[in-house]
Amino acid sequence: MIMTEIKTKPVIAPRWRVSGRNKERLLQQAFLLPATLYILLIFGYPVVQNVIMALQQYTTATFFTGHAPWIGLANYQAVLQSRDFGRAAMNTLTFTAFSIAGQLIFGMLIALYFRRRFPLNNLLRGLLLLPWLIPLIVSSAVWRWMLDKDSGVVNQILGALTFSDVRIGWLTDTTVALLAVICVNIWLGIPFNVALLYSGLQDIPQELYEAAALDGATGAKAFKHITWPLLRPVVTVVLVLGVVYTLKALDIILGLTGGGPANATQTLSTESYRLSFQQFDFGQGAAVGNILIVISLVFALLYLRANRKGSKA
Amino acid sequence: MTSTTATKAAGSFGLERSASRHTIFGLVIVVVLLFPVYWMVNVSLQPGGRAVGTPWFPINPDLSGYATAIAEQSPNLVTSLLVAGGSVLFSLVIAAPAAYAVAQLRIPFARTLLFAVLICQMIPGIVVSNALYTAFNQLGLLNSIIGLIIANSSAGIPFGILIMHAFMLSIPPSVIEAARVDGAGPVRAFVSIVLPMSRNAIITAGLFAFLFAWGDFLFAVTLTTTNEVRPVTVGLYSYLGTYVNDWSAVMATAVLASTPAIAVLAVAQRYISAGATGGAVK
Amino acid sequence: MLQRPAGSTNDTKIYDSVLATCEKTTGITIKTQDIPSSGYLAKVLQQASSKTLPDVLMLDNGEVPQIAESGALAPLKPLGVTTNGFAEGVVQASTYGGELYGVQPVANTIALFVNTELLAAAGLKAPTTWDELKRTASILTKGDTYGVAFSAAASEEGTFQFLPFFWSNGGDETNIPTSEGAAALQLWKDLVIAHAASESVLTWTQADVNDQFIAGKAAMMINGPWQFPSLDKAGVKYEAVALPAPQLGAEIVSPLGGETWTVPVTGNKEKMASAAQVVQCLGSDASQLELGSGRNLIPTNENLAGQYAQENPKMKGFVDQIPGLRARTAQLGPDYAKASQTIYTAIQDVLTGGAEPLEALRRAETK
Repeated sequence: MIMTEIKTKPVIAPRWRVSGRNKERLLQQAFLLPATLYILLIFGYPVVQNVIMALQQYTTATFFTGHAPWIGLANYQAVLQSRDFGRAAMNTLTFTAFSIAGQLIFGMLIALYFRRRFPLNNLLRGLLLLPWLIPLIVSSAVWRWMLDKDSGVVNQILGALTFSDVRIGWLTDTTVALLAVICVNIWLGIPFNVALLYSGLQDIPQELYEAAALDGATGAKAFKHITWPLLRPVVTVVLVLGVVYTLKALDIILGLTGGGPANATQTLSTESYRLSFQQFDFGQGAAVGNILIVISLVFALLYLRANRKGSKA
Repeated sequence: MTSTTATKAAGSFGLERSASRHTIFGLVIVVVLLFPVYWMVNVSLQPGGRAVGTPWFPINPDLSGYATAIAEQSPNLVTSLLVAGGSVLFSLVIAAPAAYAVAQLRIPFARTLLFAVLICQMIPGIVVSNALYTAFNQLGLLNSIIGLIIANSSAGIPFGILIMHAFMLSIPPSVIEAARVDGAGPVRAFVSIVLPMSRNAIITAGLFAFLFAWGDFLFAVTLTTTNEVRPVTVGLYSYLGTYVNDWSAVMATAVLASTPAIAVLAVAQRYISAGATGGAVK
Repeated sequence: MLQRPAGSTNDTKIYDSVLATCEKTTGITIKTQDIPSSGYLAKVLQQASSKTLPDVLMLDNGEVPQIAESGALAPLKPLGVTTNGFAEGVVQASTYGGELYGVQPVANTIALFVNTELLAAAGLKAPTTWDELKRTASILTKGDTYGVAFSAAASEEGTFQFLPFFWSNGGDETNIPTSEGAAALQLWKDLVIAHAASESVLTWTQADVNDQFIAGKAAMMINGPWQFPSLDKAGVKYEAVALPAPQLGAEIVSPLGGETWTVPVTGNKEKMASAAQVVQCLGSDASQLELGSGRNLIPTNENLAGQYAQENPKMKGFVDQIPGLRARTAQLGPDYAKASQTIYTAIQDVLTGGAEPLEALRRAETK
């Protein structure tokens, strides 16, 4: 979407003085230079280093001696053959898909709801952003107690609602742990989605709805014909950012379950962390990290292609 | 899903009543979503603050948790504030010109940059922090506020470029062109036309840059090794170690850690609403 | 420059006082640096790679071989550090490849804590065997209260808590998948399946376990003496007894826990010599007694045991255990980390119903 927009952007004709064209071009490049340098240094260099590390064998001794022998693709081989990898890949897929879907649906519903005019609207909408402001490390700690099987508030509330003694091991039962982590992640993502979608909604001219209302298009119909098409660029941005942020989500899972119980919530991201920072096998950790980057890349390309096709049709 | 049109259709007669009904439902949404935040505040006010068997309400509020938190965490809060503020400035200074170039200037390289920005978002922070540790160590940037600003902007800059670029696309080229014809150079056109027009997007980008930097934990924990420069997230994390006995102090720190961010939001939200109605967008 | 993981306020206070005394006796100025305890080892390795290790470094005694193997630590004997009178297991834990790398002033291990009020109300005595543990825990499980709490977290804490059961039944970390080891795992599984222990043990740290016990949500717990201050403060009526044995009278082998002080190779001979003096001072009788009494840990110098037990009667159960404590790294050295991971992976697998004990141990090992 973003790419296609650039293509269709009308070009500014360089009408001004021709003699200044070289200077002009230089100045234009200067606008890009700081960002380009920053990206190369802060993102390019680590990726290159990561690719190199994945080809080396790291042990704790490596840290002191700096010596890590080359072992070719053995790290990738070991990682791909381990039982944990398939599980982590599957978890990553589930985690990402459900998180994104949940965040977008709830985010959209809430953003639409707050388009209505009612007293305290601004205040309430501001308050909604709170979960986003709280450092992740705090959120995960708070949720951890809330989801505790025996004394957690969540089970207490469910118990009160159903008049029974609810004992769900949200973070300790392998069958529901991933669900619990997804729910917390949706909770975390809602403010972000609401903020962007709401500001997108504000940009849709009110007159369009008024005109549509005259033609009898209100409610769902107005949403389908006005809101959705006009909001699509924003939705696209929200989705792309959501997917890439969710794929690499680390803090929240580490904070809630540490990837457990019994790897039930281990994703590629936490697996990479585990290999590097708990096993101190930075070679294998780097290999998983690289695989994760490649997966993200594939998603991005698929998405760009789909969009190009979509915009042609 | 019925959006504003439903309210409009209700007419002026029923508006008052349905509006207050909407407020109530809006309140319900907020209460449900903010419950964990309430819980954090609740625990922070409990005397002795145990994680287990916490009462529903702080009936006998106890501020000793806050006393401990303020005594131990104030320098860390200042560090966080400096890092987050610095990251906003640094992110905007780097991202705004780039966003403008990508959106409005015709440079072949611009498209590549935008693609690179997209790719950057996919690189796990752990990969970046790992490499930065070695690099910062050689450059003497470990345990420095500058180092943390640079590292934390790795979230703010790509995000800022994406957001501001999307916004700047909507600036009609004719506006800029007109200024240019009047003799303004590209820098002046950018500073005096594009930046003011993009105020909303800049505030959004700055706000998010602040939040990213404020909430960052990964860089904070990997790029600092002493107590001298320690953001509050790491201060909190030290509390969460193995031997935590006083949860009220931990949660009080968490609440304190959230207050400056809330303040910034309160200020910025006014700007956002003002800008939105001001019609700068259209 | 001395570096340690951030501990509780009490631990920090007492160490600060001991270090202040050492500054006086050695004439060396000590600057302290606290690092978050979680991820501590990762930080130490990072420092090793960037050559920014401190002059004095605190390590968990289980981590010594791993770090010593990398060459980052200086052997202490050539620097004039002695450990005369120290319990053999303690010295062994800080030794790698025949060289002493650390001085451990105080030690700890784990025991069974029982809530004496709950036990008395049920007319029960503290269990001494596995069967009794299961029975007692089941009877004590009522309403919101579980019979027993322990940490089965996917970390060294989980392994540390499991080791006394594993070892006492003849389990061996050099050959993990045996029926002896599996039987110990079965015990934990039985406790969870019978709901005598919460499924949440899977995520609890030892501090979480202590919270449960204080709140009366667990009638018994497995924990260490460092919890005494918080238990006393909370006013819980408790008693710490030896962990239950597989059979009546069987010997209980518990892991030796605690921190050890090392001198990293920083290249600065003068500073390393001063660092060695500080380490020696930390291991002195006076330091041991102050650290031991203040933090409810046991001095590692056997000559002090009698005096210490007399002054701290409630520690007697722990003091008696010291000579028999086993160093976690005694057999495997740096490879203990792998074995520990195998063990906690299997624990998690079994308690979540993923596999039967023996199968889980096998699976975890081949991974």
